[in-house]
Amino acid sequence: MLELVQQITNGVAIGSVYVLIALGLTTVFGILGIAHFAHGSVSMFGGYLVYVLVASQGVSLWLAIPVALIVGMGVGGLIEFLAYRPVRNANHINAFIIALGLTMMVEGINLQLFGADQVVIPTGFDRVFEIAGVTIPETRLYVILAATVLVIAMTAFVEGTKTGQAIRAVAQNRDAAILMGVNVRSIPLIVFAMSTMLGVAAGVMVGSLFAIAPGVGEAMVVKGFAVLILGGLGSIPGAIIGGLVLGVTEALAAGFLSSAYKDVIAFVVMIVVLLFRPQGLLGGAK
Amino acid sequence: MKRRSTIGAGLAAAVLAASTSLAGAAEKDLVVGVSDALTGPAAVYGVPQARAVELAAEEVNAAGGIRLGEDTYKITVLSYDDKANPTEASNSVRKLIDRDGARFLLGFCCSGATGAVASFIQNEDAVMLVGNAAERSITTRGIDNLVRTRPPADYTGAAAGTFVASKGHKRVAVIGALETSFYAMYVDAFEREFVKGGGEIVTREAFGLKDRDMSPQLTKIRALEPDALLVVGYVEPAAFVYRQSVELGLDVPRYGFTSGSEEQFLRVASSEQMEGVWDLRPTELTLQSTGETGRAYHENFTARFGVQPSPSSPYAYDQLYALRDAILKAGTVEDAAAVAKALRELPVPKEAVMQYIPIDGRMFDGNGQAYTTNGAFQWQDGAWVFVQELPSVAEDYSRFLSSIDG
Repeated sequence: MLELVQQITNGVAIGSVYVLIALGLTTVFGILGIAHFAHGSVSMFGGYLVYVLVASQGVSLWLAIPVALIVGMGVGGLIEFLAYRPVRNANHINAFIIALGLTMMVEGINLQLFGADQVVIPTGFDRVFEIAGVTIPETRLYVILAATVLVIAMTAFVEGTKTGQAIRAVAQNRDAAILMGVNVRSIPLIVFAMSTMLGVAAGVMVGSLFAIAPGVGEAMVVKGFAVLILGGLGSIPGAIIGGLVLGVTEALAAGFLSSAYKDVIAFVVMIVVLLFRPQGLLGGAK
Repeated sequence: MKRRSTIGAGLAAAVLAASTSLAGAAEKDLVVGVSDALTGPAAVYGVPQARAVELAAEEVNAAGGIRLGEDTYKITVLSYDDKANPTEASNSVRKLIDRDGARFLLGFCCSGATGAVASFIQNEDAVMLVGNAAERSITTRGIDNLVRTRPPADYTGAAAGTFVASKGHKRVAVIGALETSFYAMYVDAFEREFVKGGGEIVTREAFGLKDRDMSPQLTKIRALEPDALLVVGYVEPAAFVYRQSVELGLDVPRYGFTSGSEEQFLRVASSEQMEGVWDLRPTELTLQSTGETGRAYHENFTARFGVQPSPSSPYAYDQLYALRDAILKAGTVEDAAAVAKALRELPVPKEAVMQYIPIDGRMFDGNGQAYTTNGAFQWQDGAWVFVQELPSVAEDYSRFLSSIDG
């Protein structure tokens, strides 16, 4: 029993990272209909940035993280303005191709700026907490807490603010939102800024828990899209549930079945869910 | 007038003779190719190896190059990134041989990529010197133009099994990159000797080379209550295992087979998390275990590249000195077969950093395999400390290797 609880705890930590990645993807997809493949690479850019600030420049982690989040918002806005806005009214395939090209470009920029070596963000969080026999390393605890805070903050923003209402209005019916006086030109900018900020937070978590290296962002975005499909396209609660389900499934598969096939088993679970609920766990039926 | 013309003719003849002599003693370029993992997960081994070859080439050139008769050869090193990938390695070597004209191929940190090149190198007019790649079959295929400076993984694994059994452990859990054959081979040899000592392997948990979260496997291991842990894999995932084992409170002695430097481990785990970890591997470079040449190598490498050399990097450094001696012995850089033959007749070069055990007075045995001693190193206060040699009989293993067909 203790082992099961420990494995679930392990899974919740990695699942929290998946949740943040998937939240960013689902908001962009749900509201703008764009499959933003470069999201993982941009997230890792944020992780690299924190690493450089902390390890090379001696900046405090607590200062480096907000700086990276703000830079991430700016980068997200720029991506929307320069890459996706020009094809906003064009065929969907254009945005799709831009997303692929952007992924390669951002990966290349990361490689040029930060090199090919893997990097681990030095946090100094070495303590280990034990609760009823279940151990939780300090970094994992902070990852879970930070993800929870970000999810609550995002939900509050989307549900409780005027801008959030405008975002939801655009997601539901863009034309009606225009008629109601919503400034639809600014909404994509805000969505991308918010989405990229969440991605950067996930990148920092990956860099602190594990490591950032070329290719990690691409792997994360694949997991993010799996969560998106599992939870239901465009559904924020679906992304949260889906991320946790994927993380816990991976941990249980590696712990109780075979670590060699943990990714396969996680995706098998996803397929099984989709067989019974094609719209995903919390996606709306069409 | 006649006298002047005679003197003039004499001077002209002397100048002509001197210039002819100078033309004969030309400085020539000797291209040495390096194929190694310069990016990706295996770069922790490949980059230091490529640098080690570069350093050795600079030293040989600074000492006047390789003199063959009236010719002096200065070494030019061309390095290609094979990403430890078999296809990339085959392409790199093809480029080195076909386009760059390289006859001598060094580096080769990783077994998969090395095995792919070994499969066709016998048909080439070239000599292949393998470094850190530890898969046994590389030197059991009877390839005349291939030698290897690092001993095979099972040679070390057997010694490690005996050592861990001698520590009184009975239940060892294994976690490692077990889909990589030479790591599996190490564990197999470890298990054979460990079982002889009365122990058992309670589980074998695998991780991929790119995996960084091993907490599910470690949680499973913790529930099995082993009395020791054996970690086999590349430095980075192994470092995550050591870090996460502490985070999960897995408080048992930890043994490993990784060959990582202090700097490489400390990028992932803290010194406290590493404290007490054993690395059971060939007696590679550590300042405590090495001689004067090793200390000089460490100093020169650090000064040249700004980072410390990895423990396994001298396998590649020693390759270049073995090649130099073989070229001198063969008296040619054109005849690759003669150089390959000379390699197998060489004593250990005096500049070699690793502590080789010569077989019949030669650095490489009939299989083209070199042997070092094996050692037990322990992480103590932030550094690997050489504790003791592990029991390893190179002659016996050499005979065993000769008995394997393919």
